[in-house]
Amino acid sequence: MTLGIDHPWVLALLPLALVPWLSSPHRRIAIGALILVPADRLSAGLRGGLRIAGTLAVALIVTALSSPYHGGRLISRTGTGAQVVLLLDRSGSMNDTFAGRTPAGTEESKASATKRLLRDFIGRRPHDLFGVAAFSTAPMLVLPLTDHQDAVLAAVNASDRRGLDFTNIARGLGMALSMFAADRPDEHHVILLVSDGGAVIDPHAQDQLRALFARYRADLYFLFLRTAGSKGLFDEPGPDENTPQAMPERFLHRYFQTLGIPYRAFQAESPQQVEEAIRQVDALERYPITYTERLPRRDLTGWAYASAGLPLLLLLAAKLVEARLAPSRSVFVAPPARGRAT
Amino acid sequence: MRSDGLEIHYRPRGPITGRRAGAHPSRQVGGLGTFRDLVPFAAHPDARRIDVRATALDPFDTVMVRRFRQRASIDVYALVDLSASLRYQGHAMKAAVARDLCVALARSATRIGDRFGLIGCGAVLRRDCFLPATARRGVAADVAVLLAPSRWGGPGTGMGPGPERGAGGLLEAVPYLASARKMVFLISDFLLPLELLHRVFEGLAMHDVVPVVIRDSTEGVDLPDWGLLDLADLESGGRRLVFMRPSLKRRWLAQEADRLAALRQLAARHGRVPLTVTDRLDPDEFSRVLLEA
Repeated sequence: MTLGIDHPWVLALLPLALVPWLSSPHRRIAIGALILVPADRLSAGLRGGLRIAGTLAVALIVTALSSPYHGGRLISRTGTGAQVVLLLDRSGSMNDTFAGRTPAGTEESKASATKRLLRDFIGRRPHDLFGVAAFSTAPMLVLPLTDHQDAVLAAVNASDRRGLDFTNIARGLGMALSMFAADRPDEHHVILLVSDGGAVIDPHAQDQLRALFARYRADLYFLFLRTAGSKGLFDEPGPDENTPQAMPERFLHRYFQTLGIPYRAFQAESPQQVEEAIRQVDALERYPITYTERLPRRDLTGWAYASAGLPLLLLLAAKLVEARLAPSRSVFVAPPARGRAT
Repeated sequence: MRSDGLEIHYRPRGPITGRRAGAHPSRQVGGLGTFRDLVPFAAHPDARRIDVRATALDPFDTVMVRRFRQRASIDVYALVDLSASLRYQGHAMKAAVARDLCVALARSATRIGDRFGLIGCGAVLRRDCFLPATARRGVAADVAVLLAPSRWGGPGTGMGPGPERGAGGLLEAVPYLASARKMVFLISDFLLPLELLHRVFEGLAMHDVVPVVIRDSTEGVDLPDWGLLDLADLESGGRRLVFMRPSLKRRWLAQEADRLAALRQLAARHGRVPLTVTDRLDPDEFSRVLLEA
């Protein structure tokens, strides 16, 4: 049971609740002497009751004006999940189908299939913190780590827009890593890299990435969307092909394996395989995670006004049953017409 | 001031010792008035009133003189309570009723040769509202001016707290009414402590004191049966919220009746029962009750 208010300064008006004790709301009726009036406990009680009602009415209205609410606090809970950064390839080829063509009819592009499957993935993991980054020529920070699923879904929704040209995985990974906190050993960091092509990482950048992974300790899942006819992650090179330039995917895979982190690569050639890969990631990344949840507020303004209504009704009733002693106020100098006597 | 028809007829009680000729039978014997008795000339040597018939009939040839009961005048004083409680406004303002009564008394008194004086008393004797007894014909107009409604409730403020409250000045007025027997109309709403009234009555014991209670029916039978009244004391300013209902109204009226009965008992011990003027002054009715009282 927690109560809070939005506008505390309004409570400065609370001393007004004492006004009913200082001044009477009723019509003042002058009488020669109060000793004329017999003592009456009911009247005395009513006077006290009306004063209390006035105090209550003022206090409750002031309280209502300050917008009280109940609940609405943040609570810390432990669930199962991880901090997941979705690192999405936004290169132009992602807008093609798995067959390497521009989607036509009911065909689904790699980007849309990924989007659809990632949405399910996100929906199944309500307690995860998700961040979204994209990369093509340069990395793009789409959404920092957040527990707002709507925002994550919206970010994922936007990921099948038309992409740009190149694939710069190294800088994308750097950005994804920078979203994590380095000094929280209790958090579990996951990078889900979705890409349809490898890229060469130059040795300088390789060292930098290695250092970053060591520092942030993130699991890496590489979901490779293989386009039909292109090289795969696990293809054995031909005799004259064993260079990063000729087979960037294979060399990328081998580089990731040397990072000394939990790493898994999935090679998907159809939406079904993508789904299978994501399901595996889902099953693997089950760790305790501490997440905060904001309990919904209940606005008590209406209640405050409603409870002010009762004393107000009482006061109104008291006002309406006011009586007068004199039939009407006449001016002193005009006494009633008098009969003439001789 | 007002119509000449509004006169109050009064008859003082007890021995009148005034020497000025007037309208009231007195103990003074003299050559005028109603016949009283026959006395020897030696006892009352008034040659103008020698009764020839009685002298001729007297076996001892004593010269007999007729004596008459002289009619004398009396001083009429209005002792008016100027406390703020008379500012009560019901069907009429009680102060206005008191003023009307004093004006009528002044006119009636001066018309039959009596002198009229006015003493206003608040918490102290109010010298701004003091008129020594005079037989001047225009005194009624003066009284009307002196008893303007602003006089009630103390000088200036109307109703003041503390020393302005009450009617203790009534006691201070007693020495001003010393010497000869006078007729004193004590005009108030009598919302006063009985103890104070008792001392006032004792102080005025040698006079013919007529207590006149100014009342208003809105404080009595015209009280509402139901309703909420936020009452304010005109003198102390205190407030009291009262929820009127028939049972409370009955208690209120009973308490009022008790108060008047106590006043009546006190006044009767000192001569006269109090007169009550409710809402407005009816001089004929007032005269009738006054002559009966």
